Amino acid sequence: MTLPPRRAAGAALLGIVAAAAAGADLLQVHPSARQFRDFVYAPPMPPRIVDAGGRLRPPFVYPLRLEDRLERRFVEDRAQPMPLRLFSGGALLAADGPSPWFPLGTDGLGRDVLSRLVRGARTSLGVAFLASAGALLLGAVAGALAGYAGGRLDDGLMWAADFVMALPAIYVVLALRAAAPLVLGAAEVFWTMAAVFILAGWPLAARTVRAVVAAERTREYAEAARSIGAGTVRLLLRHLLPAAHGILAAQAALLLPGFILAEATLSFVGLGFGEPIPSWGLMLQDAGRGRALAEAPWLLAPAGAIALVVFAVNLVASERASGASPRYSRDKSLW
Amino acid sequence: MTPFSPRCDPACRRPENGRAALMVLVVTALSVVALAFWFARRPAGPGILQEITPGGEIVASIRSDPSTYNRYAPGGANAATELLSLLLHARLIRVDRATDELEPMLAEGWTRSDDGLTYTVRLRPGIAFSDGRPFTSADVLFSFRVAYDDGVRSPVRSAVEINGKPIEVSAPDDLTVVLRLPEPYAPGLRLLDNLPILPRHRLEGALGEGRFADAWSPSRPLDEIAGLGPFVLAEHVSGQRLVLTRNPQYFRRDASGVQLPYLDRLTLAVVPDQTAEALRLEAGETDLMYSGEIRPQDYASFQRAAGDGRLRLLDVGVGLDPDFLSFNLRPERARDPRAAWLLRREFRQAVSWAVDRQAIADTVYLGAAVPVSGPITPGNRTWHAPDLPAHPHDPARARALLASLGLEDRDGDGMLDDARGAPVRFSILTQAGHNRERVSTVVQEQLRQIGMAVDVVTMDPRGLFARWNAGDYDAMYFGLQASSTDPWLVPEFWLSSGAFHFWHPKQARPATEWEARIDALMRDHAGEADLDRRRQAFTDVQRLFAEQLPSIYFVAPRVTLATSARVLNPTPAPQIPQLLWSADTLAVSGPRR
Amino acid sequence: MPRAFVRFAVRRTLLAALTVLLVSSAAMALVRLAPGDALSDFEMSLEAAAAERERLGLDAPFLTQYAAWLGRAIRLDFGQSLKYRRPVQDLIGERVGNTVLLGASALLLATLIGLPAGILTGSRRGPLASLARGVSFALLSIPPLVTSFVLLLFAAATGLFPVGGMGALPGGGSIEVARYLALPCLAIALPMAAVIERLQSEAVRDALADPSVRAARARGCSRARLVWRHARRLSLKPVIALYGVLVGTVLSGSFVVEIVMAWPGLGALTYEALVARDLYLVAGCAAAGALCLSAGVLASDLALAVADPRVTEPS
Repeated sequence: MTLPPRRAAGAALLGIVAAAAAGADLLQVHPSARQFRDFVYAPPMPPRIVDAGGRLRPPFVYPLRLEDRLERRFVEDRAQPMPLRLFSGGALLAADGPSPWFPLGTDGLGRDVLSRLVRGARTSLGVAFLASAGALLLGAVAGALAGYAGGRLDDGLMWAADFVMALPAIYVVLALRAAAPLVLGAAEVFWTMAAVFILAGWPLAARTVRAVVAAERTREYAEAARSIGAGTVRLLLRHLLPAAHGILAAQAALLLPGFILAEATLSFVGLGFGEPIPSWGLMLQDAGRGRALAEAPWLLAPAGAIALVVFAVNLVASERASGASPRYSRDKSLW
Repeated sequence: MTPFSPRCDPACRRPENGRAALMVLVVTALSVVALAFWFARRPAGPGILQEITPGGEIVASIRSDPSTYNRYAPGGANAATELLSLLLHARLIRVDRATDELEPMLAEGWTRSDDGLTYTVRLRPGIAFSDGRPFTSADVLFSFRVAYDDGVRSPVRSAVEINGKPIEVSAPDDLTVVLRLPEPYAPGLRLLDNLPILPRHRLEGALGEGRFADAWSPSRPLDEIAGLGPFVLAEHVSGQRLVLTRNPQYFRRDASGVQLPYLDRLTLAVVPDQTAEALRLEAGETDLMYSGEIRPQDYASFQRAAGDGRLRLLDVGVGLDPDFLSFNLRPERARDPRAAWLLRREFRQAVSWAVDRQAIADTVYLGAAVPVSGPITPGNRTWHAPDLPAHPHDPARARALLASLGLEDRDGDGMLDDARGAPVRFSILTQAGHNRERVSTVVQEQLRQIGMAVDVVTMDPRGLFARWNAGDYDAMYFGLQASSTDPWLVPEFWLSSGAFHFWHPKQARPATEWEARIDALMRDHAGEADLDRRRQAFTDVQRLFAEQLPSIYFVAPRVTLATSARVLNPTPAPQIPQLLWSADTLAVSGPRR
Repeated sequence: MPRAFVRFAVRRTLLAALTVLLVSSAAMALVRLAPGDALSDFEMSLEAAAAERERLGLDAPFLTQYAAWLGRAIRLDFGQSLKYRRPVQDLIGERVGNTVLLGASALLLATLIGLPAGILTGSRRGPLASLARGVSFALLSIPPLVTSFVLLLFAAATGLFPVGGMGALPGGGSIEVARYLALPCLAIALPMAAVIERLQSEAVRDALADPSVRAARARGCSRARLVWRHARRLSLKPVIALYGVLVGTVLSGSFVVEIVMAWPGLGALTYEALVARDLYLVAGCAAAGALCLSAGVLASDLALAVADPRVTEPS
């Protein structure tokens, strides 16, 4: 069956993001850890095709020169355009010339923002996606059970969810970090973070699903399905859970950026990826500290990337799969 | 025409005119001498600006509010309480932070005995506390008594002890205090800068009943506090602000006789976040910051605001107390498998050669920092030694030093390995979210370029302390604020027995020959009256330090302060609080907006 | 009032009390496990720190400390803050009001914006609805941290609003407080409004597809009545069910905003307590947070039970 256009667009966007993350080595113009001391807080250098004289040229970039370090003033050198080249120096696109090329500018330590963005996509997006999926899954299972069974199981599970929601996760991480060895490898940090996020995030999904399932299980179609002998699992999977579909998607949209930022909070108490592995959460936190919007808006690139990803997720989730349940046949007659 | 005889022509200069000339000369000389006497006898008051009109209020921002108002209580060592003690209380003698000279405050003058062990301090007459009760030598005795009291365990105690021994204080009369030092002490009365004077009539009871630590805590009424300082604490809204109003009994006057403080009111607004603090200053909601220096990344917008006339920028020069990279040199580290190279002086020297200090200054501080090679920066004019061995960026030299320790790239991956093939890798512990983290990242990158793998582990400050205290770290990038510019007042850092001898604290006996030499230099000159000889000895100390490098110093930031355009007559100093240390001479030009 | 409902309410209240107790105990235990304690400070001499530790009883084993705390807590005495040297209750009492003010107004504002917007986007397809949907998507992806900084910069640039802080005392000029409240409230309310809009939008779409609504349409109800009467009633239930969850989200969102905008609330206090390893304050803050959350969840569950009593029955 062909996917509806919005879903397809969303999936395509996600695919592009995943490809960018996987192919970070190709996309990054400079090593993400390299610090350019003469280009701290340098603005983005967009590729152009029309030069100062109004002539068309193959894509090029004007090099940047530092004018005043403390006032962060840079000036474009219009006399020496640097042509862009494909597949040179190990990168997809590169430019050689009097100054390095920073497509999205540099951060507070003179590191290329684009390179950090694509490099950080793996870790930050990876953890956030994994954790969101895990939290939603765990929460959906718990919530479905609670909503369907009701009674003690419901009470117990929901109480557990409340407990987890009320306990500030940062205290847990603080204690966890104390127990862990001083230096943690990137993989260890990845899985620990994902676990912490899943454990912190499942209550939200659980409560949501439970509310929906509890409401749905009393409806006529559910009774009808039960009366013709549908088992519990089948009932849940095919009829009740899809009702929570859209709301879960809204939650994913909430969890994803939340986890990326939570990364930065966790690194305050010591559970972070550690420099020089770029982390979107930390990049955003630094941007916030440095009054980015007024003076260095390119530092908010991770926010833009997050927005893009969340948008894509929303697109994918916005159209429900047709045929999942008799309730959801798309009835266009209302519009 | 001569001035003495306008009618006489130059040819006829008569003897009477010569006598008149002599008379006038003598009279002039006498009057000059008399005037000189008159000015010299005047009490030294702060300089005045003729345009200052007393009155008005200033709002300063601080990062956190105090947990107690009592500087002598065990919790009183934090920044907010220290600031309050500067504003609410006065000292006998204070260090003028702009000039680093001693300045009499509650004391009028003092004399020193020939052996340097006895000081007789004369107190100013006619001074009263903020509640009207007169100030006498009994209050000074009481303050010392509280500092030394075993039950109170005051953090002030170590500041007024000499080599662990208390000073004998006595008061022959109401306006005289005699201090008898246990041993010759070169800094002399400089230590009185750390002793705010408490009101005996308010606190004697609490001390006697053993509840001194709870006196003057935020749960008690504010009017229980009485002090000799320029301000009185009128209001404290937890988490939001403290409001201080003028103390009408304050004893200090400026050189033209106007009673200080100039301000009617000083509000301390609590702003925990640094960015919000900077924004508020720019917006004109606050007039200055407690820790008044601008962050390098804020400089551009502050410069613009100064150009618009909304702010004023003050350059104070190079700051004091730079951050350092300190290696853990405690004896139990010998058990670490990397001890063969990690604990060696050559390794630390290699790190110092490998790091490009100018790159740190350019990257993290945007050029507003100077490379330094030791804990005493050019900002400490009295004690800085200008020609210490410096280590400009020289990776080749660093590699050679490391090779001499057997550290080479044995497997061709670009990273160094030791004799057993294990990679050269160590961790730097530092404070999360602070400039220290950024410097550590730059250092990490630079060391990677000569083949060393460094892990930067960040933590909150208490976690850092716990690890340092337990000796559970490889290296730490941190900073300590010294309580004084005079190194003999900071023995806890310089002596090997000191509690904050960062790399190996509280040694029973000096663990190395060079630490023994530093101890000897400090001890031998502890009673040295001649400042130049003391400075020479301390230059030797700094040289030893720079050769052995237990802690490596990279850069010291240049300090630029910002105030709103309303603030007049600031006296900037390099140490925090750069402007509020002399809050009584701050004035404003008019109402806000 | 039906007995099942009363039983339900009582059960939930008891569970809430249990949650508060367990959360504060767990918080205390966890912070105790962390490296460093309230007196781990470079600014304090080690002897003074050791003496203070002894005086405050911090070097006792955890169980002894906990037992003492529990004994006092049952009598509603939550001890003294190690950092501020004041009773924990007083500190929390001052701050919790500010957080509740911020959270409640943020939730209210978010509902006032999000609910109608959600009904709009759920029932229409026009350009206005698309615009609303787009704005909502955008806000959804911008976390409260970023919105706080954007709003702070806006305040500094325009001078229309104060740059953070809380200014005047509550009760002494509510207009003043409202000015200080505006931006922190917006920082939380905008992303939250987007969430509510999305939830309501989905709920309205489902409601419009419901047989009862189709029946009403067949009867000839006007479009407006369909949406604003029938569909709205149906769509309200799922959103009410989630209000408890939203309270939790607002609470955690407010923590970040409080710190950045210097709003003296519970979130800022919790963070300070953590940094200062102030055990009793940590326990108190965790208890207060759990209380707020439980109250919100309880209210939401009760509202749901009123709207649909079948929820209270076991399966």
